[in-house]
Amino acid sequence: MTEVKAYSKLGEALAKGEFILTGELEPEKTTDLSHTIHEAKEMAPYVIAANVTDSPLGIVTINSMAATHLIQKATGLECVWQMTVRDVNKLGIAGMIMGAHALGIRNVLSLTGDHTALGDMPESKPVFDLDSATLVKLVREMVDKGTINGNEIEAPPTLHVGAAANPNADPMGAEILKIGRKAEAGCEFIQTQVVYDLDRTIEFLSEIKKYKVPVLLGIFPMKSYGMAKGFDTFVPGVSVPKDILAKWKSVKKEVTDKKQQKELYDQYNYEFFKPFITELRKKDLLAGIHCMAVHYPRIFPKLKDIIEN
Amino acid sequence: MVVITTKKPEEEVFEALNNYKVKNVLVVSCGVCAALCQTGGTEGAEEWSEKLKERGFNVINTIVSDDVCDNRVMKKDLRKIDDDVKEADAILTLSCGLGVQSIIEVLTKTHPEIPVFTANNTEFIGMTERIGRFYMRCQGCGNCLLNETGGICPITTCAKALMNGPCGGMVDGKCEVGDYEKDCGWILIYNRLKELGRLDLFSKLRDPLDWSKIGHQREVVWR
Ligand code: SF4
Ligand code: SF4
Repeated sequence: MTEVKAYSKLGEALAKGEFILTGELEPEKTTDLSHTIHEAKEMAPYVIAANVTDSPLGIVTINSMAATHLIQKATGLECVWQMTVRDVNKLGIAGMIMGAHALGIRNVLSLTGDHTALGDMPESKPVFDLDSATLVKLVREMVDKGTINGNEIEAPPTLHVGAAANPNADPMGAEILKIGRKAEAGCEFIQTQVVYDLDRTIEFLSEIKKYKVPVLLGIFPMKSYGMAKGFDTFVPGVSVPKDILAKWKSVKKEVTDKKQQKELYDQYNYEFFKPFITELRKKDLLAGIHCMAVHYPRIFPKLKDIIEN
Repeated sequence: MVVITTKKPEEEVFEALNNYKVKNVLVVSCGVCAALCQTGGTEGAEEWSEKLKERGFNVINTIVSDDVCDNRVMKKDLRKIDDDVKEADAILTLSCGLGVQSIIEVLTKTHPEIPVFTANNTEFIGMTERIGRFYMRCQGCGNCLLNETGGICPITTCAKALMNGPCGGMVDGKCEVGDYEKDCGWILIYNRLKELGRLDLFSKLRDPLDWSKIGHQREVVWR
């Protein structure tokens, strides 16, 4: 058996086959990360690592590599640096990967990134020199071979590289073959887009099992009815099931006490996600859960409970 | 193949001419691509000549040439009207960007002092469905991938020109850019390769484009 190298807690847990939980942090358009750091601290006891987003929706925020470094430094929580290929060319990204290592970053998630045209600087030049699969390939070359384009790196970086997958994608066939490419490129873990449809998720995960890449399932526990409704309306390609929306709405309408409302939302999330996750685990389709709900750190103890029991 | 052009806003053109204090204008109109796009040809030449006169310019002559972008054609056509060229403060071309630069190239020795302006915006190399419906399907990348992608160009039909799509922005076969109205190029490729029974080609991990070959002043010179 070949020795599995682990450069991070995440890498180690995946290698050992532990069932893990990761979270997500979304730094904003600011130089002050105190809110994000506060959230990271709340999340830290429950997750093995947290992703740090890279200007999602093409809306510019503080640079994700800098934010990842600062959050790790301030909290000790290991992060997964999200790097999109939208804003930097191959040469720039290769430099950033070395820089990220030097700053103590040990996990990177390779993403395409939402097009610049969608964001708040639509006049920016979209780069996309690499794509999400070739970024994975680049990281693996730098880490495993210690080279870039065959040229030696004096002290090569050591990072684990993951990629995204979308179980909601239609046609699913194209998405599955695309994940095959990412696997071929050397992707070490997958974090999926948010899912709510169990049958579809089972079908999808069963299809990609052949690539033998550990999958962390993307879930989005909804903090409030407004959040659920907003997610359903504004996130393209993902819809929140009608019965969930109705249930969440009833909390908003029928429960006046804020504290009680919160408890009910948390409880309902627990009740929805527990059987969902348990079913997928039973079928041996998952390596863990990636919770994408930002600004909802109080849900983590419940999620931890789900994965531990 | 047609170089697709659209009309510049008139005011922008007049401003450019005024900025150079132009009085006497020679109009050179393209009889091929721009004629098809209704930004040149005989009609365009007449239209511009009227507009210029209304604005107080003196139109010395208007000519319609086949292939303004062909140096040989321009040399011949401009030589025939050399007296008009001499009299002109400026040339206004109703062609694509190639036309402007072709005229400059041809006049550079004999009349380097004459500025050449364009009345059009050059959009892309286009495929014609019918007049008024032109589509970008190739960007001339210099290393055509069509044999591997079922004949559909990822560089042109994918909004991010990805080599390994579709990206997470695809929803129901549509692209995130432009409000999910346009087809995702990588789904077009997927469907096409599926029809051809060649999804093995779709599965292939493709390297990024080699910009050392694309990004420069390119030329094709074989004689
Ligand atoms: S790959 Fe696309 S852009 Fe390149 S030559 Fe072929 S059709 Fe044109
Ligand atoms: S949705 Fe399709 S066409 Fe649009 S950017 Fe993504 S891969 Fe390209």
